[in-house]
Amino acid sequence: MACPYLAYRAAAGGHAFDEERAFCTATGEFVQPMRADICNGRYDLAHADDCEIYRERVDGAGTAHDEET
Amino acid sequence: MSYEEYLAGDPVIVTAALTGGVHGKEANPALPETPEEIGRAAGEAAEAGASVVHLHARRPNGERSFAVDRFEEIDEAVRRHAPEVVIQHSTGGTGVPDEVRHQPLRTDPPPEMASLDMGPLNRYDHLTSENTRALVDSLHAEMVDRGIKPELEVFNDGHRNEVHGLLDRRRLADPVYATLIFGPGTLTRPRPRNFLTATDDLPDGAVFNTLGFGRHQLPFATMGLLFGGHVRVGLEDNVYYERGTLAESNAQLVARVGRLAEELGREVASPAQAREILGL
Repeated sequence: MACPYLAYRAAAGGHAFDEERAFCTATGEFVQPMRADICNGRYDLAHADDCEIYRERVDGAGTAHDEET
Repeated sequence: MSYEEYLAGDPVIVTAALTGGVHGKEANPALPETPEEIGRAAGEAAEAGASVVHLHARRPNGERSFAVDRFEEIDEAVRRHAPEVVIQHSTGGTGVPDEVRHQPLRTDPPPEMASLDMGPLNRYDHLTSENTRALVDSLHAEMVDRGIKPELEVFNDGHRNEVHGLLDRRRLADPVYATLIFGPGTLTRPRPRNFLTATDDLPDGAVFNTLGFGRHQLPFATMGLLFGGHVRVGLEDNVYYERGTLAESNAQLVARVGRLAEELGREVASPAQAREILGL
């Protein structure tokens, strides 16, 4: 099941792309491609379990930081 | 490998990690995502000195793909733009079923090399890429069957134990080739003493590649050069050229490390030399 905060947009926040890309309406930012698999519920991934941004919004359980470079 | 090998002036293999599967154009618009963009980036990187290209596949919107035909499209584009370069497919994939992780090995023709992640690593706050021993063994077995050279990705100190354990369980073709990875999170802390420990602790005869994430890319590449190792650079691992300035291209990062190698007295390996060093 896709995350309710997921949208697909071709432009936002000064970024513009040829193809519509995953956009998080909770953060107001385009989503990293790997995180988009969580947003879309692909494989065994689920936003309710695996996304700290969603969890923080829903129940304040996440820390909403990212160590990726 | 050691400082003595640096003094001997052995050629250095530069691997260009062109695209990756974590971030995309939202992080740096110059990051190639489509097969044609990746092919062109490979050509430019090869021209700048890369002899190996490390490849991930993406959907048209930049999201991850593990499909065999998508990898084949990318390989065809790479071959058009860089006919001699060594192709290395990633088998990494956080949150992806094990069976899907095998797909990048099943292209026709198969890649000459493929990555083999040596153990678990955390992603974000709630995900772990498990990379179980069972998966490592099954990926390695398929690589052997298809004549693919594994590039052992050592994300942290525990993964060096896993390298030794893999050698206890399975026979690896000489030379063992391991990428030592330094950076934030689950990765080995990017400190010079950790680099020295890691290089001392590899199996006898192993050849190492050096990968620093983000701002650690250039200093750790330099350490790799100075201790007789090989280096990996590219937009998969680092989207910046310097603090606050995005890199213009993969080739820009390859060219910089090539200049550094030559200033330090190490020739940048051609694809033919890379194949000889790696036993391909």
